[in-house]
Amino acid sequence: MKAVILAGGEGRRVRPLTGSRPKSLIPVANRPIISYPIEALEKNGIREIIVIVGYRKEQVIRYLNTLDIQPEVIVQEKQLGTADALRCAASLIDGDFLVLPGDNFIDAHSIGKIRGVRNAMLVREHPNPSNFGVVVVHEGQVKQIVEKPERAPSFTVSTGIFSLTDAFFDLPPENDLTDMVASMLDRGIGIRAIEADDWQDAVYPWDLLSMNARLIRQLSSLRAGSVSRNAVIDGPVRIGEGTMVGPGTVIIGPVVIGPDSQIGPHAVIGPGTSIGARTEVAPFTVIENSILMDDVRIGSHSRIRDTIIGTGSALGNHTVVQTISRVVDRDGELIRAEFGAIIGDEVTSAPFSGFGASIIGNSAVIQGANRDLRGLEITDQALVV
Amino acid sequence: MCGIIGYTGSRPAASVLIEGLRQLEYRGYDSFGIAVNGPKIGLLKRSGRIPEDCPEINGFLGTAGIGHTRWATHGIPSDQNAHPHLDCSGRIAVVHNGIIENYLSLKKELEQCGHRFQSETDTEVIPHLIEAHSGEGLLEAVRRATGQLRGSYAFLVIEEGGPGTIIAAKKSSPLVIGCGDGEMLAASDTTPILDYTERVIYLEDDDIASISPDGVEIFRNGCRVVRPVSLIEWSREDVKRGGFPHFMEKEIFEQPEVLANSIRVLTEVPAILREVKGLTLVACGSSFHAGLIFKYLLERGAGIPVRCELASEFKYHPSPARDTVIAVTQSGETADTNSALLVARSHNCPTLAITNVLGSSVTRIADTVIFMKAGPEISVAATKSFIAQCGVLARLADLLSGGKYRTALVKANVAISDALRAEFGEAVDLCSGARSLFYIGRGAFYPVALEGALKMKEISYIHAEGFAAGEIKHGPFALLSEDTPVIAVCPPGETYEVMNSNLKEIKARGTPVIVLGRRSDREISGISDIFIPMPEGDIITDIMASTVILQLLAYRTAVRLGREIDRPKNLAKCVTVE
Repeated sequence: MKAVILAGGEGRRVRPLTGSRPKSLIPVANRPIISYPIEALEKNGIREIIVIVGYRKEQVIRYLNTLDIQPEVIVQEKQLGTADALRCAASLIDGDFLVLPGDNFIDAHSIGKIRGVRNAMLVREHPNPSNFGVVVVHEGQVKQIVEKPERAPSFTVSTGIFSLTDAFFDLPPENDLTDMVASMLDRGIGIRAIEADDWQDAVYPWDLLSMNARLIRQLSSLRAGSVSRNAVIDGPVRIGEGTMVGPGTVIIGPVVIGPDSQIGPHAVIGPGTSIGARTEVAPFTVIENSILMDDVRIGSHSRIRDTIIGTGSALGNHTVVQTISRVVDRDGELIRAEFGAIIGDEVTSAPFSGFGASIIGNSAVIQGANRDLRGLEITDQALVV
Repeated sequence: MCGIIGYTGSRPAASVLIEGLRQLEYRGYDSFGIAVNGPKIGLLKRSGRIPEDCPEINGFLGTAGIGHTRWATHGIPSDQNAHPHLDCSGRIAVVHNGIIENYLSLKKELEQCGHRFQSETDTEVIPHLIEAHSGEGLLEAVRRATGQLRGSYAFLVIEEGGPGTIIAAKKSSPLVIGCGDGEMLAASDTTPILDYTERVIYLEDDDIASISPDGVEIFRNGCRVVRPVSLIEWSREDVKRGGFPHFMEKEIFEQPEVLANSIRVLTEVPAILREVKGLTLVACGSSFHAGLIFKYLLERGAGIPVRCELASEFKYHPSPARDTVIAVTQSGETADTNSALLVARSHNCPTLAITNVLGSSVTRIADTVIFMKAGPEISVAATKSFIAQCGVLARLADLLSGGKYRTALVKANVAISDALRAEFGEAVDLCSGARSLFYIGRGAFYPVALEGALKMKEISYIHAEGFAAGEIKHGPFALLSEDTPVIAVCPPGETYEVMNSNLKEIKARGTPVIVLGRRSDREISGISDIFIPMPEGDIITDIMASTVILQLLAYRTAVRLGREIDRPKNLAKCVTVE
């Protein structure tokens, strides 16, 4: 059985983190998100995988080349929608197949439940259904599907994971899968609704933090780098090759740290933190429940929590992040969110900067000390003086 | 240069050899051929590229054989000149990489003894020489034949009806033996061996080896010797294109990691360079451009004079007294660079080599070797190997100058990632319609311009030349017109003002200008016809970012023009002739 993974889109709602990578490559528990659906397929013995790429395709192809199974890569030249992406693979598919989004987490057991069923979708209850495709299910069959409705008819949403037959490609084309499904329902084609066990989609960047905290719990300990005898490591902690953990550092798991990084001396890394490769955490800095990507530098005496920091960013010493709850405006939608900071790639900030529910765009530069950036949203490449 | 491969084991050799030759094609691709053992030798050879399907090999059932992919040096690409070459009886088949310098006199002698030659190649003397010395077994015949050969060679021999033994001989050209389970391979480099085993033995000059499915016996001057088994550091995925349409694109996008790794290779100044007072650097092509960038960084950072010489010219000038001589060669087999290093050695200069290939010839010549760790580069045009050379050399300049470039180097790989996202469709449109392209830069950006022009001419076949911006008014200005766009690298710094006025003068002649400058630079983007922004940073990030942007510009232009990117016409990956 073949599976198609849709990884062509950017994932706009997760900006600024999608400046240099599509959402499917954002690292969660130090693995690109797309690795999770691929793993779920492999565990079910599905090894014929087709990946549709588009936005930043070279990055996705580079990642796919590192895997044991070699997926077939197809380029969607213009990002017109999920069904359009799926149709790019039409010539390679005959028979039944699965289609999954590349930027969501799904567990292997759920894939096992849907693979044997023709014309089915995985669904799940969700407290905020309006962000997704909402379905109305009656006696195990999908009766109606609506994309991101203002008033949701139910709390059940589509995970975007479908089991379809190649007859799908004969239907009149729509751009989005939700519209195609609605069209199938109109034609009386029955679609079974199957409950997914563990499905996670980070709609907004701060959602990645809870996703990270949950997925990091499944990891086992590993010490590939050099850890000082005076460092304290407690709980499940993975340390990558070439990483040095200086004396006096305390790491409380679950934590994962990539290769060639420098932690401390005298740094504190709290649970739920993922740190990438070639990253430096200076002495006397505390980091908790955060995602730091590759090549990041955090100055000394800083306090980082509930924060995501993109590749190549350097925060000055005495950076303070507070976890604050506020209403964020995302493309006209008002959402209540609680987080420390979402910081894009290659951001530099001066010492003594203060963040709290801040969103800092890619390549932004924050100059001059003592900047209070709480509650602010800074655009890409902005210069804050 | 050419690629040779041999296999002996339990699998049908023909398909192993053809697949292996595909992997070696980047070494030479104007003809190919294989010979498989059996009651009669199964021979297939012809000019042209290796086809997708080779149904003729279905009849070749032997489990031992040799193969060759050719970059012609003596004799045009043709079916007769393709290897393997046979002796008069058709019982001995030979594939060869290298040049037999005394082949003409040997050929005359052999013809006088009655041997009949079918091709114009130098290689053909080898099977006939072996035939002339036969009598005490193939190994001994090969040993005697090599005594008469002068030049460079790595060759493999099989004999009809034999038990599947391959005899190998090496002098100056590379030859690696792969030690599998119940099977053995021999090849010009480790690339095709990776599919079967990671354990390899690098042969030394004057080695003669007898390879059978159970193992290898190596002899030197008649005595049995033992050579160490090494592990290949590269992985299988390094030699596959994956989802990329071309190896070149794959290698361009690997550069952020390659740069990060190359900068970490050196942790301290190599002993041979401590207290150094002056350096000479010899290299060819892109490696020479990396040397020019090093010259700029080291002279500015540490005040140590650096003399950069084209390796092919080095021997025509007096040797640099007591300077340490640094050779930069990706393959480690570049003939001009290696002979320049030998000249330096003969004048008692300490020697250092920077290369990408373990076990390559240059590693046997230099006193000290630094490996750039870029992984195998399959595309003929150098991309990641150039960046890796720049990374190693920049780090060396940083160490010798007491850390002047330390912070800049740490951020360099991020700057490259940023630069790789650049979109410049308009620039590609302009370049693909141009008659000629002129690349200009000043200071460290002069070699960046030279390298940008080299990439463009190599793969898009558009005439492209790099100039120091100051020189363009002393002649080349006469060539400027609307069909000859100028590509200029103008980051901020000491070169900015004067580059700015150069551009205005060029535009005054009606020539379109494509300018690479910092993203935030409003002034330069205002006077450019096409502006390609680079990330903020400093001189190191500017050098790296502009280099990769110009690589991408050449690549996308070549794709637009439908060129054969990984194997450009008339070029080979490494030039083993002078």
